[in-house]
Amino acid sequence: MTIRLITGNEAVALGALRAGVKVVTGYPGTPSSGALASLVSMELGDDRHVEWSTNEKVAIEIAGGLAWAGQRAMCTMKMSGLNVASDALFSIAHSGVNGALVIYVADDPGAHAGMVEQDSRGYARMMDLPMLEPTTVAEAYELMPLAFELSERCGSPVFVRSVTSIANSHAPVDVGEPVPPEEREPILEWDITKYTKAGSAIAQAQHRQVIERLGRAGEIVRQMGLNELQMAEHPGGLGIVAAGVTVSYLGEGLKIAAAQGCGWFDGAHHGLERVSVLKVRGTNPVPEEEVRALLEHVEDVVILEELEPYVEERVILEAHRIGFEGRIVGKLDGTLERVGSYGVREVVCAILAGCKPDLSGSKPDLHEEAEELVAARPITVCAGCPHRGTYMAINQALRNLKLKKDEVMVTGDIGCTILGMNEPFETVWNEVAMGSSVSLAQGYVYSGLETPVIATIGDSTFFHAGMPGLINAVQHRVSLTLIIMDNGWTAMTGMQTNPGTEEAFQPKGNYQVDLAKLVPAMGVEHFFVIDPFQLDEATAAVEKALELPGVKVILSRQECAIQAQRRGIKAGAAEVDVEACTLCRKCITITGCPAISLGEDAIVIDEALCYGCGLCAQVCPFDAIEREGE
Amino acid sequence: MSRSVGHSHHALGSTQDAARGTPYDVYLLGVGGQGVVTMGDLIADGAMEAGLPVNVYPTKGMAQRGGSVTVQVRLSYEVTGPEIPEGEADLVIAMERSEALRAVRYVRPGGDFLLYGHVWEPTKVMLGRADYPTLEQVCQKVHETGAELHYLDPQGLPQREGRPLPANVYVLGAAVRCTGLGRVLDAEAMAGVVARRWETYATVNEAAFRAGLEAGVDDA
Repeated sequence: MTIRLITGNEAVALGALRAGVKVVTGYPGTPSSGALASLVSMELGDDRHVEWSTNEKVAIEIAGGLAWAGQRAMCTMKMSGLNVASDALFSIAHSGVNGALVIYVADDPGAHAGMVEQDSRGYARMMDLPMLEPTTVAEAYELMPLAFELSERCGSPVFVRSVTSIANSHAPVDVGEPVPPEEREPILEWDITKYTKAGSAIAQAQHRQVIERLGRAGEIVRQMGLNELQMAEHPGGLGIVAAGVTVSYLGEGLKIAAAQGCGWFDGAHHGLERVSVLKVRGTNPVPEEEVRALLEHVEDVVILEELEPYVEERVILEAHRIGFEGRIVGKLDGTLERVGSYGVREVVCAILAGCKPDLSGSKPDLHEEAEELVAARPITVCAGCPHRGTYMAINQALRNLKLKKDEVMVTGDIGCTILGMNEPFETVWNEVAMGSSVSLAQGYVYSGLETPVIATIGDSTFFHAGMPGLINAVQHRVSLTLIIMDNGWTAMTGMQTNPGTEEAFQPKGNYQVDLAKLVPAMGVEHFFVIDPFQLDEATAAVEKALELPGVKVILSRQECAIQAQRRGIKAGAAEVDVEACTLCRKCITITGCPAISLGEDAIVIDEALCYGCGLCAQVCPFDAIEREGE
Repeated sequence: MSRSVGHSHHALGSTQDAARGTPYDVYLLGVGGQGVVTMGDLIADGAMEAGLPVNVYPTKGMAQRGGSVTVQVRLSYEVTGPEIPEGEADLVIAMERSEALRAVRYVRPGGDFLLYGHVWEPTKVMLGRADYPTLEQVCQKVHETGAELHYLDPQGLPQREGRPLPANVYVLGAAVRCTGLGRVLDAEAMAGVVARRWETYATVNEAAFRAGLEAGVDDA
């Protein structure tokens, strides 16, 4: 074993290797991406396979097939990805597995990376699947082999859930050698009662079995001792049920609460001696026996968990069963919120409420007036980003066609392409889910709009879930324009490969699915390929598409500038003609490029940042920007 | 902003043992592209080398560059959650003047607040369509917390062969020099950590760190 400084995501990946995982699939999504990404960057040998799959549903089906064939598989995704995978996973859950299937899902309380703030524990409950949750980075490593063992012993897929603050934290972890996957003959089992859902008898039997498996899982988790009950020596005092990352704040929170006058005095015993704690690492099933034991021991109880009150609801149920008369402090009594991530502040707040409801405690001064002075920093696309040219072309085409921007719906999608919603473009109107832009646009077409409707989407998002929407639009002969902004990478999540990534950059032996061949084959009537760095041509193509009937697709192609620059490639260079520049600021207000700033007598282009895309030169009314490399 | 501090004149080693084992929280922030995440990584490497428990939690939102970036470093805790509670950070290192205000809620009274006064104006500010805080406003807000403000003038960032040294490593050097961080992490050990982190730019980075150790910091 060696102590290494690793992230929670890496801990999950290394823990899976330690557990002898054979295949890992997944789709990128913050905060989960680092797990599979770290495996992709390792030399793993031929007995393992790791891949970024087209979407989470595909990824879970591959992993499910592996587990049915008796092998150890893992599948990784962010919480939104679990929504995509859920259809298949429900079915696999009800069938059970022969090998091991561990689903690593990372939630984002506080929604740091955008998207719906959702609690994936709800899926565990809905699917009757066991779920384990590390409370620290080191535990993420230690839990993984147990998760695989649990999956095999109870014959069920098992969730390992983490949250942003654990997934992205770095901490020292005692890491052991990876264990090669066990050589197992693939199992081919003919059993339609297990592997199909054909008919009520089969479906109901499977429903019964999945419930039984969860019960067994609860028993195994108890044997593993994952849910730690630390009882105060004497009955009474305060009980704390803490789940997930909140466990890691307990020590600090208790100290601060005690310093703020929280005490549980009964003569001889006082303070922290009177606190009993249940640390929940197996959040599904909620450990009923331990909860009951705690409730029977304490006077009042506090429940700490981020987002939804899933554990709290079970505690209330157990309290009802045993006739618990103390106070139950959590979200449902209004003490804590169902929104945002939790830290020490929430822990202290709940402990104070549990200990002395009349003691509000001294709230920290949050100095909110200081934050009101902060200059807002809306995020925009990088210098050299090809998406900039596409937004500019859309905006210019609308102006040329005498269309007002607030009359033309431009639907947006997930990934970097959504940044077109911000200044200075304000091109994109909305964001729903992977691939939604196309079908959302179809909805707007049916609404009776007389103006053209445009959908925008990135390459990876199109492969992921945009294709069904486009096929639907083609089939129903809907008049809309889809712009696929193809930068060759799944960029926002940290530059993963996708089916359209150039073969040279894909893992060895992979095939590039070329959008320029795929899209016309889908029955699209009018297909254009543009270079977003050629503003006039790109604008002309958008204009033409908007005037044509039927489904039009514009493939806007240029590699992500970050990736190109990592290989030492620049599109060119730009130089300012100081004499010619009038400081009209058009280059800044139209492109919003982070490489351009205002100087004394002329604009200044940061040489190191500039990618040489030339878009600023193309909008300068005074030809004051010279583009080299053309 | 009056007193400039000269060379280090206390033996760091002697106080270090006393500081070991005492939890120490560092809240770093700035703008994406300033190397704030790297600063957190370097402190973590230093902690690992010193055998101190550490948890480093970077948050950078969606932007590759130009967005707000924070890193929360928690040193010497047996078990710790990733986030520093408000009013509890022993040290704030702010790499950008306006962003510094976001950290005011985190520094503890009596803690250190190191402000590197770099100004990175968002586009709207540059175009004169939005306000940007003055240095006086920022200093005032830091003073109200009861923390000790150390101001590092970006004009003082030394050059080497015509190019400015990396500001993040320079500021880290200054932090080790003039704040409580120097009692947790040894300056020489950190210089080694900095040099070993990069294969190609080891000399430049070590030079930046050492320049930081000798930087003129104003205790305002």
